Amino acid sequence: MFKSEMGRRNFIRRMSSAVLGVWTSGLWKARPSMAKTGDSPTLEYRTLGKTGLKVTTVGMGVMNCSDPAVVLRAFDLGINFFDTAPSYMGGRNEEMVGKVFKGKRDKVFIQTKLGTGDEKRTRDSVEKSLRRLQTDYVDVLLWHGLHSNDEVSDTRLHEFMEKMKKEGKARFTGFSAHSRMANLLREATKVRHHDVALVSYNFTHSRDLREAVTQAAAAGIGIVAMKTQAGGYKKEKMGNLSPHQAALKFVLRDTNVTLAVPGVTTIEQIEECAATMGTTLSLRDGDSLRQYHTFLQGRTCTLCGGCDGECPKSVPYGRFLRAVMYHDGYEDNRLAREVLGNTVALQTPAQCSECRSCLAVCRRGLDVQAQIRRAGQILGNESA
Amino acid sequence: MFKPRSGGQDRFLEMKAHDRMIDGKPRQKRLLEYLLLLLWVLMFPWSAVSHSAPVTDLRTLLPNQDLPAGWTRVDGPRVYSNKTLFEHVNGQAILYLSYGFRRSVFVVFQNVREPENQIEVDIYDMGEVLNAFGVFSRFRNDDRPGGVGLDSYLDDRSLLFYRGRYFVMIYATETNATAMKQMAATISAKIGDSFRPPREIDLFPKNGLKAGSIQYFPEGLLGHTFLGRGFQAGYVDKDETNLQVPGREPLLFLAVFKSPKAAKDALTTYKSYVAKKGKVFASTPEAFGSDAWEGEDPYHGQLMVVQRGHHLLGAAGFTGKRGESHLDAFIKNIR
Repeated sequence: MFKSEMGRRNFIRRMSSAVLGVWTSGLWKARPSMAKTGDSPTLEYRTLGKTGLKVTTVGMGVMNCSDPAVVLRAFDLGINFFDTAPSYMGGRNEEMVGKVFKGKRDKVFIQTKLGTGDEKRTRDSVEKSLRRLQTDYVDVLLWHGLHSNDEVSDTRLHEFMEKMKKEGKARFTGFSAHSRMANLLREATKVRHHDVALVSYNFTHSRDLREAVTQAAAAGIGIVAMKTQAGGYKKEKMGNLSPHQAALKFVLRDTNVTLAVPGVTTIEQIEECAATMGTTLSLRDGDSLRQYHTFLQGRTCTLCGGCDGECPKSVPYGRFLRAVMYHDGYEDNRLAREVLGNTVALQTPAQCSECRSCLAVCRRGLDVQAQIRRAGQILGNESA
Repeated sequence: MFKPRSGGQDRFLEMKAHDRMIDGKPRQKRLLEYLLLLLWVLMFPWSAVSHSAPVTDLRTLLPNQDLPAGWTRVDGPRVYSNKTLFEHVNGQAILYLSYGFRRSVFVVFQNVREPENQIEVDIYDMGEVLNAFGVFSRFRNDDRPGGVGLDSYLDDRSLLFYRGRYFVMIYATETNATAMKQMAATISAKIGDSFRPPREIDLFPKNGLKAGSIQYFPEGLLGHTFLGRGFQAGYVDKDETNLQVPGREPLLFLAVFKSPKAAKDALTTYKSYVAKKGKVFASTPEAFGSDAWEGEDPYHGQLMVVQRGHHLLGAAGFTGKRGESHLDAFIKNIR
C-alpha cells in the first residue's frame, strides 16, 4: 500500500517535472538553433498586437542597467524596444535612456510606466517621465504592477490613459503584472481597454498562463514578456550552466508573445540575448532548461495556487503554505497565525506532513510536506 | 602570544583556557594578560563585523514614539526577506540582491490633518557598508546632500541616505523636506554605528571630480562582465558638447580583483575586446609601464587602462591629454 501510494506520488511528481518536456516537444524544427553572439544578429520582428508597432522580438529591460554603453550597444545591435519606469533608480534610469536616445528618438520605441493614484499624481508622474526621457511622447505607457481584475477593468484608469493618448503623451497604453497574470490577462481580454500587457512569462509558468496569453493575443493585446530568465541566477552556482539563451528562445517560440524584455546590465548579456533572434530551441537547449528547472525546483513557494484541490482528505494545505510564506518570508507572525487559526482541517499539520496518501505536488518541485511540517512548527510555537 | 587560529570562537576558547592556566604567575604579568584579553575582546566585534554583526530587528530603527508631531503610522511595518522583496519592488529586487540584500522594512506615515500627505520609509539592510553605499550610489541622482548619514540625497519629495550597513529611502507624496529630514535624523541616530564610508572613495583624485558621482558596482563595471566589481566616478568636461559618448561624462574607474593575476587576465581580456570592437594604439605613455594599454572603445571613447596589484585603473571618454593626467594622479593614490 505504502509503496504503491508513494509510487503514485512520485509518478505525479515526475509528471510535473516532465511538463517542460511536454511543452517543448515538437519544437525541434528546422530553424537554426545556433545562437552565437556577434556584431550583427539576425533581426526578427513581430507586430505588437493592435498597436501595429514592428518591434524586435528581443527588447531590452533597462531597469537595472546604469551604463549608457549597454543601451547604445543594444541599439547598435538593432534592438528597437526599451522598457523602463520612473521608479527604477528614482528616475535615473529614465534619464539615462533619454540621454542615450537624444537625436535617435524616432528610431526606437520606449515603454515606461506609472503607478495608480489620483489624477494629479499620475499626471505629474507622466510629465516627469517625459522630461527625464527628453521626449514629447512615449510609445507605450503602462500601469505599473496591477494586482486585481478590478484594477484591470477600472474605467477611471482607462479614462486617464485615453486622456494621455489624446494629449499625445502616449501612443499606446496597457498594464504590467507580476502575479495572477492569467486572471488579469483574461480580464483584459474581456474589457478591451488595453493595447499592451507586460507580464512575467518563462519556462516555469503554467499552461494556464500560456492559454491566457493566447487569448489576449487573439484579442489584439500585444504581449511583452518579462522575467524570461525565471529570476536570474549565478553561473557559478549552477556549474557554469548558462541557460540564458535557451530560456529566451523558450519564451519567443510562443508566437503569441510579441517580444521579450530581458533585464541586462552588461554588453555581453545583451549580445547573448540579441543572438537568440531568428533561432529556435535545440535539444541541447531543452537539456539546459531541464537542468535549470531542476536548479530552481524546491527553492520557494510562489503561492501560484497551482497545487490546490489535490488532497484526498480535503485539507486546504494551501493555507499552510501561505502561513509559512507569511512567517518565514514576511516575518509577519500575526498574519501567519490568522491563516492557521482559521484553518478547519480533518487532520493536523503533523498528521498531514506524514500522510501517505498525500497527492499534493508542486509543479515547481517544492516539497509540500516539508512546508506543512514547517507550518506545524509555527503553529506549535505560536500556541506554546 | 595570542596566535590566531581559524575561527574567532576557537580563539576565544583558547584564550579562556589560557586564562585558567595563569594562576600562580606574578600579579603584574597576569594583569598585563588580562589587559590584552580585554583589548582582544573589545576588538573582536570590530574585526568580525562585516560578516557576522548581530542582526538588528529593522522595525526598531523606525520612528515610533519619536515621530514628528502631527504624523501617525498608517501602514506597516512590513518586513521583506530576499525571498519576498520581489513582492515589494518587483523586478528591481534583482538590483538589491546583487548588492547582498539581507532584509528590509517598509512603513507608511500619514499627516493627521492632511491624509493625502504621506511619507513612505524603506530601510534596507545591505549586510555591509560597501553594499549600502553601492545601492545608494545607484539611486542618488546628482549632488544634493541632505545632511544625514554617511552621505545623502535630498530633493522635493525624496531623501535617500546610507549609514553603516543600512540604505534608507524616504518618499513623500507632497513636498515635505522638514518631516522627511526629521524622520531621517531619527533613523540615522538609531542606526548609530561609527562606520566610515568605503575607503576607495578617497582614492579618486579630487581635481575635476563631479561631486556625488562616485558609484560602486558589485558586477558588470562599465557594462562589462569581465571587469567584475568596482568603482567609477564622473569628471567635469569643460566642453559638455564634446562628450565622446552620448549620456556619459568622462570617467575614472577602479576594478577590484581577487588577485594580481586575475587583474592582469582582465587587462588582457579587455585589450582583446577593444582590439576587436575598436582600436588599440601602438604605444602607451611610458610612465604607466608595461602593464597598460591605450585605445578607443566604441562605447567609452578614448581609453587608458593600467594594472596595479589587485586593481585595474582606467580613464575613459576624456579628450586630449586630460585622461592621462587624471589617470596619473589616480595611480599615485593607489599604494
